Amino acid sequence: MSWENFRFALFEKAPEALLEHSMIVVVTIGIAILISIPLGIFLSRPRFKKFGLFTMNILNLLQAVPGLAVIALALPFLGLGMKPAIIALLFQSLLPIVRNTIAGLLGVSSDVKEAASGMGMSQRRILLEVEIPLAIPIILSGIRTATVYVVSMGTLASFIGAGGLGNLIQGGLTLFRPEYLLVGAGLGALMAIFLDRMINYLEYRITPPGM
Amino acid sequence: MIVLEQITKKYPGQAMPAVDKLSISIPKGEICVLVGPSGCGKSTILRMINRMIEPTSGIVKINGEDVTQKNPDQLRMGIGYVIQQIGLLPHRTIAENIAIVPRLYKWPKEKIKQRVDELIVMMGLDLEKTRGKYPAQLSGGQMQRVGVARAMAVDPPIMLMDEPFGAVDPIARTHLQDELLRLQKEIKKTIVFVTHDINEAIKMGDRIAIFNAGKLVQFGTPEEILTNPVNEFVEDFIGRDRVVKKLNLYSAGDAMQPIRCVVKENELGNAAQKMKEAGAEVAFLLNKAGKACGHITSSDLDEFGKDLGGLRKRIGRTEKAFVQTTTPFPDALSLLLEYDADYLGILKGEELCGMLSFKGIRKHVYRKEGE
Repeated sequence: MSWENFRFALFEKAPEALLEHSMIVVVTIGIAILISIPLGIFLSRPRFKKFGLFTMNILNLLQAVPGLAVIALALPFLGLGMKPAIIALLFQSLLPIVRNTIAGLLGVSSDVKEAASGMGMSQRRILLEVEIPLAIPIILSGIRTATVYVVSMGTLASFIGAGGLGNLIQGGLTLFRPEYLLVGAGLGALMAIFLDRMINYLEYRITPPGM
Repeated sequence: MIVLEQITKKYPGQAMPAVDKLSISIPKGEICVLVGPSGCGKSTILRMINRMIEPTSGIVKINGEDVTQKNPDQLRMGIGYVIQQIGLLPHRTIAENIAIVPRLYKWPKEKIKQRVDELIVMMGLDLEKTRGKYPAQLSGGQMQRVGVARAMAVDPPIMLMDEPFGAVDPIARTHLQDELLRLQKEIKKTIVFVTHDINEAIKMGDRIAIFNAGKLVQFGTPEEILTNPVNEFVEDFIGRDRVVKKLNLYSAGDAMQPIRCVVKENELGNAAQKMKEAGAEVAFLLNKAGKACGHITSSDLDEFGKDLGGLRKRIGRTEKAFVQTTTPFPDALSLLLEYDADYLGILKGEELCGMLSFKGIRKHVYRKEGE
């Protein structure tokens, strides 16, 4: 261990890696949210509930494939770089958000929905003004799980040339430089903790005071 | 007026229809109570009026219009709906909850705020304290008040109430019932009220419909039902004490008898003579301020004779034996028993205006029974 290597890893290598890593996380989670929440809403509607089990099984299956395998499998199909990495990570981040969206929406008390509908609120209005606001804390907690997941899985993305904190870890391993390892893994952990806390705070803030 | 014609509701997988060829007309401006044991289809009937449930066959008409011709959301916006579970939106304040239907009608903000404030006050809630609170911060009784206020927000002519007071404690329930009755005198809505509690039905209903196994067994005023139950089921359902229950329908004013003899407190010595002159069994006493303060009967006089001290004591016992004209019979009876008296004075405000006796109550109820 040398201070010089550590300093180099932290100040010369890490900023770029961190930026790439954040990029991977933000884009992946952004796309995952755009896909999962509408999918969850769709699957929670009474008419489409029958597709729910089927879809959830597929997502479960995707989730069950080890992360490294997903990344490796993406390579022959999608090539190298950040894009295939994001697609591979996406597969793994959909499940928690879809699952929590469905759970959150179905968890809204049927009394509240019945009263809303009995007052003449349309199904659309009930979804937008009652169900989603009440489900948001649970949906956010799904997003939190997915985010932490992508941060840690993202370190594997460097295997297919996507960059990120995985580069530092890989470099550390091949060059026998524990300083690189420490900086890469440490920053990854900090990032995961930071995002987890941040979304947790958001959940807390967004939960209506009456609940 | 709400008319149900040959309404049948069959749920898939059930042999017996939940509601079987029901026809009933619910008159305008009255409280009509649907009552029956659980599973008799009363809630289903209620929910078919605002199309929360669609009937398998038959027609529901409101003021002559078939409800299936209307958009269900539009239909429901025009009908107040209160359920036992209340169903306040937990993420909205009380004011926002009450404002839901006015917002659906796109009322201007000022008008909504004014109406919400009016309703909070009308329901006997503290305006400043309640407006900004969330439902979870209220007690059960308060929440149901908000539930009722919310249903009345746009002043709909019809209100559907599904066991509205079923989940609140007995004291709050009595309060809510009394208040709804008081309000109803002013607002004169057509209210369809579902309950499984026959006492609540008797108290609340201008008309009561008794159901069993999806069929209407009897439909009539509480008096009719208590007087002439059509069959054993109704008899059992209203209970062996149906005549005692009937007492609830009358108040002291109904059986009021005139007072023949009034004696001032300082003329107590002459009471016997005065009563004899008036041919009265009982004399009421007024104190110096002219307020009624008790009564004596001829048997009291026989017992005490000239012993004014003893007489005063006896009178003291009846010091509180007074009711208002609006006091219901059961409360009056309870007072008669409590003071071991044969008579009660009836007050209108502070003023003595008549008397009520055991005999009077018995005669009144008997007469009604015989009608």
